[in-house]
Amino acid sequence: MQVNLLEFWPKILEATNETLVMVFIALVLACLIGIPLGIALVVTRDQGLMENRPVFNTLNIIINFFRSVPFIILLVAILPITRFIVGTSIGTAAAVVPLVFFSGPYIARLVENSLLEVNKGVVEAAEAMGASTWQIIYRVLLPEALSSIVLNITIATIGLVGASAMAGFVGGGGLGDLAITYGYQRFETDVMIVTVILLVILVQIVQTLGNYLSKKLRRL
Amino acid sequence: MIRFDQVTKTFEHEGGKLTAVDQVNLEIKKGEIFGVIGFSGAGKSTLIRLVNQLERPTSGRVLINDQDLSALSTRELRGIRRNIGMIFQHFNLLETKTVYHNVAFPLLLAGTPKNEVKEKVEEILDFVGLKDRAKHYPDQLSGGQKQRVGIARALATSPSILLCDEATSALDPETTKSILKLLRKVRDEYNITILMITHEMNVIKKICDRVAVMEDGSVIEQDTIFNLFSNPQHPTTQKFVQSVMNDEIPASILSEVESRHIYRVTFNEGTAGKPILSSVAKKFDVDVNVLYGQITELQHIPFGNLVVEFQGNQEEILKAVNDIQQAVRIQEVKVDAS
Ligand SMILES: Nc1ncnc2c1ncn2[C@@H]1O[C@H](COP(=O)(O)OP(=O)(O)OP(=O)(O)O)[C@@H](O)[C@H]1O
Ligand SMILES: [Mg+2]
Repeated sequence: MQVNLLEFWPKILEATNETLVMVFIALVLACLIGIPLGIALVVTRDQGLMENRPVFNTLNIIINFFRSVPFIILLVAILPITRFIVGTSIGTAAAVVPLVFFSGPYIARLVENSLLEVNKGVVEAAEAMGASTWQIIYRVLLPEALSSIVLNITIATIGLVGASAMAGFVGGGGLGDLAITYGYQRFETDVMIVTVILLVILVQIVQTLGNYLSKKLRRL
Repeated sequence: MIRFDQVTKTFEHEGGKLTAVDQVNLEIKKGEIFGVIGFSGAGKSTLIRLVNQLERPTSGRVLINDQDLSALSTRELRGIRRNIGMIFQHFNLLETKTVYHNVAFPLLLAGTPKNEVKEKVEEILDFVGLKDRAKHYPDQLSGGQKQRVGIARALATSPSILLCDEATSALDPETTKSILKLLRKVRDEYNITILMITHEMNVIKKICDRVAVMEDGSVIEQDTIFNLFSNPQHPTTQKFVQSVMNDEIPASILSEVESRHIYRVTFNEGTAGKPILSSVAKKFDVDVNVLYGQITELQHIPFGNLVVEFQGNQEEILKAVNDIQQAVRIQEVKVDAS
């Protein structure tokens, strides 16, 4: 067993690195898509700052669609798109695409919820001061919701860590891939245990960091 | 200054329409503290929101300095709004910002240079008595302090109008008093026109110059504080006046009005303190017996309300009443009159 782990150690390090890279890139891209979408949902809804029913309904349906497909199916279903975007359907880069499709809409929903929690009275006060719609979004809604958004994105990040483990299915690499190829398929139980422990630690770190950041952001 | 000209606001909702403000005409003068009172759902908030066009009128016009607001573009409207401060029942402060940055916020929106912002914010925080709280966050303040921040924020852009929607309704009586005092100081020192909405007659009585009473979207009565309190016409107005004046005649007296000669005498400015009752008692062959009453002050004018009984023969009593009528208001108390 000792021998075994020593032998696998470089592989484990590499896999950890792959997981971190995968999650990080997917997270950044998902935020770039999800945060504007979340804002769009809030401002176009009934009584929103830029009420627009067709836009709201369209976004709503698209987001619900992606939210309702299980990740493992999404992973396979969008293989052609993945191939189109990154030129291949296997490897770490290829795994990022389904991860973004998976967590982008999720983040949109979470951001929507955070923004809806902002006291309507504060928005009204800003309107009364002569704030433009963009000023309200940028100077009121986002700063007031930031702490809650960070907490929600923490949840999404942890979801991403879990999903990235499944990306092993498309040979995406990372800790999940390692656990499946060695631990599950070749019965190297200790490798599996180590990867699971690393995943647990990773999730703990993400949550702790998220909580800390969120608390800091309650006072800007 | 602010003029409502046949203003109506109708909300459409599933199943019908609701007229929240119904053909309202009002004129509020520069530097005046104008109150609007009404029960819940009377349309007060909708009315005040029409002034800064948070609600657009369905018909009619709202004019500020003779400028029709409904004719303005969104951009022009934003400029006008900087000239109209607003404070709220629940303060509506930015929770993530310090007191300083809350007050600076409208200046930031207006693109004011930083050094000017600093100067202005410090001046206003001093004015509202929160200089030492600049670095605090709203959750570290009491309700009264939060409303002071709200007032400071509303004044930051040096507006000429201040709208107050139930500004003291979430505060205890002592804090309410201090906030009302501050609002009066705002008017006196900056000559700002204040439109204040409330369902508490106490607030109206303490601070307003004139008042309008709203019911079901309409203004049912409007007058100076003194006239409205001393001579309320509409039953709803009377109810509001009674809530602070308590001029209801006790039941024990009321049960005997048929057999006795009971009158209500209303004193005001010129007459409070004059010995009108004792002089008629000397002049005519009647005895005057005060049954019940109170004297208070409205806008620094003493105002009183006495329920008196005349004893003597019918003719002398009528003469006495006629005599009093020359000087003050006197009405016979009848059972149905209450
Ligand atoms: N945005 C809206 N959509 C539909 N109906 C509305 C809207 N705003 C107000 N109303 C309705 O208009 C009427 C008047 O409301 P408003 O808030 O002006 O009353 P108010 O006098 O301020 O009452 P309160 O003392 O409870 O604040 C109410 O019946 C209310 O339900
Ligand atoms: Mg209201």
